[in-house]
Amino acid sequence: MPAQANVPLPDGYQLQSYRITKVLSCGGFSIVYLAHDEADQPVAIKEYLPSSLALRHEGDVLPSISEENLATFRYGMKCFFEEGRALARLSHPNLVRVLNFFRANETVYLVMRYERGRTLQEHIQARRGAIKENFIRRIFTLLLNGLREVHLNKLLHLDIKPANIYVRNDGTPVLIDFGAARQTLTAEGFKLNPMYTPGFASPEHYKNRELLGPWTDIYSVGASIFACIAGAAPQAADLRVDKDRYVSATKLFGGRYSDQLLETIDWCLNLDHLKRPQSVLALQKVLLRERDPETPRRKSFVSSLRGTLLKLARKSVA
Amino acid sequence: MRFSVYQESRQGPRKMNQDRIAHVYTRDALALIVADGMGGHLHGEVAAQIATHFIVEAFQREAQPRLDDPFRFLLGAITNAHHSIIDYANQRNLLETPRTTCVACIVQDGIAHWAHVGDSRLYHIREGRVENQTKDHSRVQILVDTGRIREEAVAAHPDRNKIFNCLGQMSVPKVDLSRRVGLNHGDTLILCTDGFWGALSAKLICEELLRSPDIAAAMPKLMDMAEGRAGREGDNLSVVAMTWVDQIGEASPTSISTVTMTDREYKSTVQHFQKTAPPAAPGYLSDEEIERAIEEIRLAIKKNSK
Repeated sequence: MPAQANVPLPDGYQLQSYRITKVLSCGGFSIVYLAHDEADQPVAIKEYLPSSLALRHEGDVLPSISEENLATFRYGMKCFFEEGRALARLSHPNLVRVLNFFRANETVYLVMRYERGRTLQEHIQARRGAIKENFIRRIFTLLLNGLREVHLNKLLHLDIKPANIYVRNDGTPVLIDFGAARQTLTAEGFKLNPMYTPGFASPEHYKNRELLGPWTDIYSVGASIFACIAGAAPQAADLRVDKDRYVSATKLFGGRYSDQLLETIDWCLNLDHLKRPQSVLALQKVLLRERDPETPRRKSFVSSLRGTLLKLARKSVA
Repeated sequence: MRFSVYQESRQGPRKMNQDRIAHVYTRDALALIVADGMGGHLHGEVAAQIATHFIVEAFQREAQPRLDDPFRFLLGAITNAHHSIIDYANQRNLLETPRTTCVACIVQDGIAHWAHVGDSRLYHIREGRVENQTKDHSRVQILVDTGRIREEAVAAHPDRNKIFNCLGQMSVPKVDLSRRVGLNHGDTLILCTDGFWGALSAKLICEELLRSPDIAAAMPKLMDMAEGRAGREGDNLSVVAMTWVDQIGEASPTSISTVTMTDREYKSTVQHFQKTAPPAAPGYLSDEEIERAIEEIRLAIKKNSK
């Protein structure tokens, strides 16, 4: 049976004190809406609605959940609660802020602050990778402040990827979509789809989940930085474990980015979790470090002019 | 020999299931066993496991295909199960011996014989009435016997879990034997742990059996009821139920006939659990639990937004 998609709540629908404005995204686990509260302030509302368990049909508000799926649906709700609990504990400028949590329409809703901007994924697509080093360093240094807060609260994000990193219009990043708790679902092999994203997920996301730790999120950070430069994620970790075709960032992009940044990416993307930076702080220190003097700098006008002249000279000789 | 049998054990809201249940039969004899490992003592589930296994194995050894003396069998098997638990604790230098209750019943020649230690019960139900019932080896039962509290008050009494007789205790347990009870067509025997009887009155059980005499339909409903009533405060709950079918009586399609079994054949169904085994059903969230989770999250949000 092909995967069916859920029908979102209609625009203008009044959900308790919120008015649905439009659908922001529609995933296998949930639907995210833009809505406005009583003071007409925009909010993002996430609706728990795993399409493999609960289907809302055209024209309906209540999803239909078969008797046999009800227990699993409710079980999955637990994981949605975990997400809510995790977010409620966290208060940080670089982490999405939860505002409310309620039950309606036989399911549950998470209300978050709406942020204006676009995802890092959209930035990457717009530029086909090749994001400037300064931008990368700034975004990720700030983002890691948020991630440190997550880890300090003994939580793991487990789904860090450019699509889950939101860049506000003022240029500051915010980590969104805390699917952290969803690991319990995949771990027990229930009907809900696995939540890791190939390319950004570490080897321990797939197997040996008892090894999950801060280094797991760090792998995903490394893969996200890689994507900023390459325009796409590195080879998926489960395939890498089998036959590693990962070409080091240092080799691929040497000269275009500082060696130190590229080495940091390779460090984060180590298949052996013990060989990666072990804490966010360790990684942050490297990102903040001044560039070494011998790393390539932007060529001065004079030197590039000289280069062009030399090329032309060679051509004319040939 | 012809009968229907139904057995089920549920974990309830507890962290693990310390109840163990089993039934085993040969052509001419049937054994039903329920043990409730005691929480508050170490490894209650181990004691319950040893007890059920021990009795099942003894039955398989001795019933070929009938037992010489069912009462002697019950007395011997239960007492030896107790010693086996003590041995287990000694071999492993456990600080405390694991403890369990036990109720077991042998049906042979259409006659039921049962024995119990502790507060796991046997109800003998005939035509919607409790014909016979075990008397718990508990402090509250003494209060009932001496007329200090009413039967109905047992389930809610603060001392309801205090029992003075169990397998694994310091002294040899006193095995309480029934008399010989002839079974009529349609009679039902229910062996159950306190997680089951504590949540349901005998009257309610009888009514449900009158409504649906087939135990395959009635027992799951009663289990649901018991589990629902106990809610979050509930215990593990287990039953082994058997309805006797007369050779000439009308049999339900699910009943078992042992006529075709050979002399040396036996069939056993022992339900046991492993710590590592995933729960049979994913943890079902009740409405109450959902409300509680939401309340908790809202509180955390409020606290953090200050």
